[in-house]
Amino acid sequence: MFGMLLWKEWKENFWKLWFCGAASVVFTIMLFRIRIIPDFSNCILISFIQMFAVPVIYSLDIFSGEISNRTVHLLFKIPVPRWMLFFSKYIVSAAGIILIFLISGLLMEFMSRGREAQVLFLLANNSLCGMAALVLFTWFCAFGCQSRSEADSLVVMFGVFIGWGIVFFWSSVCEVAWAERFVPYSLTLMRITKVGPVWTVLLQILASAAVLAIACYRYVSIRRYL
Amino acid sequence: MRVSGIIHQQICQIKWHLLACLGLIMVLPVEEAVVNLRAGDGFFSDGMTLVAIIFGPLLAGLIACANVQGDLNEKRYIFWRSKPANVKFLITLKFIIGLVASLLIIACPVVFHFVSNIIWNEEGIDKWFFKFYVPLPILIAIMTYSLCFACNVLVRKTARAWLIGMLTGCFLLVLPFMLPLDFKDFVSDVMIWSWGPYLAIMLITPAAAFVFALYAAKHDWHLKTNLKSLLWAGAGLVFILMMLFSSQVANIKVLQEKEIEFDFGQGSLNYAGSRVVYQGDSYIDDDKDGFSLQKIGSGNVRAYPYSNIGTDSAGHRIHYGPSVAGYSEEIYPRHGNRLYKDAGNEIFFFSIHAYYRSEGQPPLHKRFYEKVYLRSYKHTGNNWMPVCELDISDCFTNKISPYFRAAMRLIDNRLIACVNNSYVLVDVTNPGELKLIDKKLDVLQRFRPSKDRKKEFSIPLVPIEEFGLEERIRLSIDLNYNFNYGDNEFYDSSIVDIHDDKLAFFFIDFLDYDDVARFDVIRWDDEKIYCKYSNSRPFTILESVTGAPGRFSPKFVKNGKLYCHNSNTLMVFDIRSNRRIRKLGHFVRMDYDIQDMAVLEDGNILLCVRWDPEFIRDRSNEDKYYLYLLKNPE
Repeated sequence: MFGMLLWKEWKENFWKLWFCGAASVVFTIMLFRIRIIPDFSNCILISFIQMFAVPVIYSLDIFSGEISNRTVHLLFKIPVPRWMLFFSKYIVSAAGIILIFLISGLLMEFMSRGREAQVLFLLANNSLCGMAALVLFTWFCAFGCQSRSEADSLVVMFGVFIGWGIVFFWSSVCEVAWAERFVPYSLTLMRITKVGPVWTVLLQILASAAVLAIACYRYVSIRRYL
Repeated sequence: MRVSGIIHQQICQIKWHLLACLGLIMVLPVEEAVVNLRAGDGFFSDGMTLVAIIFGPLLAGLIACANVQGDLNEKRYIFWRSKPANVKFLITLKFIIGLVASLLIIACPVVFHFVSNIIWNEEGIDKWFFKFYVPLPILIAIMTYSLCFACNVLVRKTARAWLIGMLTGCFLLVLPFMLPLDFKDFVSDVMIWSWGPYLAIMLITPAAAFVFALYAAKHDWHLKTNLKSLLWAGAGLVFILMMLFSSQVANIKVLQEKEIEFDFGQGSLNYAGSRVVYQGDSYIDDDKDGFSLQKIGSGNVRAYPYSNIGTDSAGHRIHYGPSVAGYSEEIYPRHGNRLYKDAGNEIFFFSIHAYYRSEGQPPLHKRFYEKVYLRSYKHTGNNWMPVCELDISDCFTNKISPYFRAAMRLIDNRLIACVNNSYVLVDVTNPGELKLIDKKLDVLQRFRPSKDRKKEFSIPLVPIEEFGLEERIRLSIDLNYNFNYGDNEFYDSSIVDIHDDKLAFFFIDFLDYDDVARFDVIRWDDEKIYCKYSNSRPFTILESVTGAPGRFSPKFVKNGKLYCHNSNTLMVFDIRSNRRIRKLGHFVRMDYDIQDMAVLEDGNILLCVRWDPEFIRDRSNEDKYYLYLLKNPE
């Protein structure tokens, strides 16, 4: 049954993979071909835009779509635990986000072929941004799993971005290193700063697991709002 | 129709979106102001305003979609289309209300920045910020608003319309670089001097999108499934065509790459007349097929890059020239660089040798510089032999000095050698016989512009009557700014550009400004040169993050171009185009260490680089050295 749920979500969200994948491929090819800026700068530019855009696209209607259409009633009548419904959505979205970053990272490597940076350097940086995007999406799930419209979801996602932006800015300016490690954006700086990457990743995994549990609980208890 | 009623209804419709956008856009500037206040600097916002207004175009798109979607969702659309409403008028009104609301939202952080900086920032407002950083995001916001508006009229799904609008906006921003418009530099071509195709795109796009939205609404165009695939196919076709007709914009092309032998020291490329000498033992000959290395002399035994080290007939290292027992030696130019003079079939070079003794234990030891010589060396056989020496020890007016500052420049047959604050002028018509012409002690002074670089400032004119006025001014400026302790490239480069009787000089990252700045020489008298800031080209955030050349990076001006590099990035700027500074190209190798560079007679660039396998700067057996021949960007 879980497989069928995954298949349903995959089909419903395939346009996002198609849209983000096509946009990433188009802009990667364009920028790496015309080379207005160096490859590493191109990589940073594309990866950062992806880091913000891809979670937004996935978060738009992943939960709110079912609620605004009222199809969530039908979904809840299927004899499967609700946590499975939640995780089918989350896994498909996570797989999509990972796939998009993988495609663009590999394309960057293919187009640059180590001409300006070491082989796999661009892929590694793009993957770190992908990890950050996934963590941001996880945080969105906690706050946005009960959103009732696409606009609500968009505001929640922007709220997550800016909320972590505030923490990141504060922790950098006030030099609060422990707080900085909780910020998803710190994943993107791991290769540059080389400050405690193991701890940063570990903390991010633990925090994401906790946030995911909260998101799942909120989704399971969604009937109160319908 | 009652216009005021419609306006009221529209504002009520998007009020929550407006408030949400206002909160999102203001949170970072306000937070920065609070942090500044707590730090005791005052309640003002600085860098975060830029971040906030960069978000502006995204939020403008969001407002556009929210604005349209309210009246175009299925139920309400049927309702108002059944009324005798003028569709074009209604859509126009919606467009204008949303646009004004978006601009007001974007204006909030800008106004906050302006007001808070005037009231609480001691340094006042940054005019540069308002002149160059504010207009572009506003124009982009107008464009994204219009595109999202038109997309939503057509697609009628908020999120998808926003995404398609943003994607189209991004594509339009990259478009001028793909067309044959000679766009190379985002900063100078777009941010500062974008009043051409870019402005046209940003003005025509909103107008076109608006007209399209009017017609789409009037004729009830709605994107259907079949049309969607047609549009995808069209977009794909446009993209393939763009790719076919586009080319590299700002990357400096590699014409030839050659791995080279290397013993020790640092790779050096120095001019010897019209030729370039690599590492003191080979000429570099440029031909149609690229370049080749030709050994100086018989070339059987490698000459060492340090000026008084050679090899004997058995291949052992030996020291030539006088040395003083118990004293250490410092040589200028450093790192195996040399100031060559090509004299027909013979080649010479000049160097300054300073001898010092140390007293005490490090780090509290003192250096006593006691002897300094100007020497000329001649290439004989396989080695460089000293042929003449001038004792210029009296240039050390202060013998107890922790540093030795030296500089040399060859102008025609005159060699000026500077040591600390003194200089000697030497006739080198016959390099094997150095003739002292003039010597002046403690006359070289250094002046720096004040913190406010826009104020006029003066530089002392070097009191050497031997040279023409332009050469004296060039020498004075270089001595004032390039005559540093430790490394300096005074012997073979200059930061001064002379063109059409106008003199200008250039700094990078000077006085905490993260940019390439141009200063013009406006007048001079017998003692001073008066200069004034002219313009600058700021480094972008990306350039700063990924490693733009800094204050102490090697830089020089040659034939109207400014060349500068740090360890892994070379940048070339055009400095004569309309009196502005424009980046022409870059060459980046992240795992390389650029050691030296030279511009050849035909304009191509020669680069000596060390491959650094692990981004570490210690030398290992795995190091490889390369010479790159690069096409000089135009």
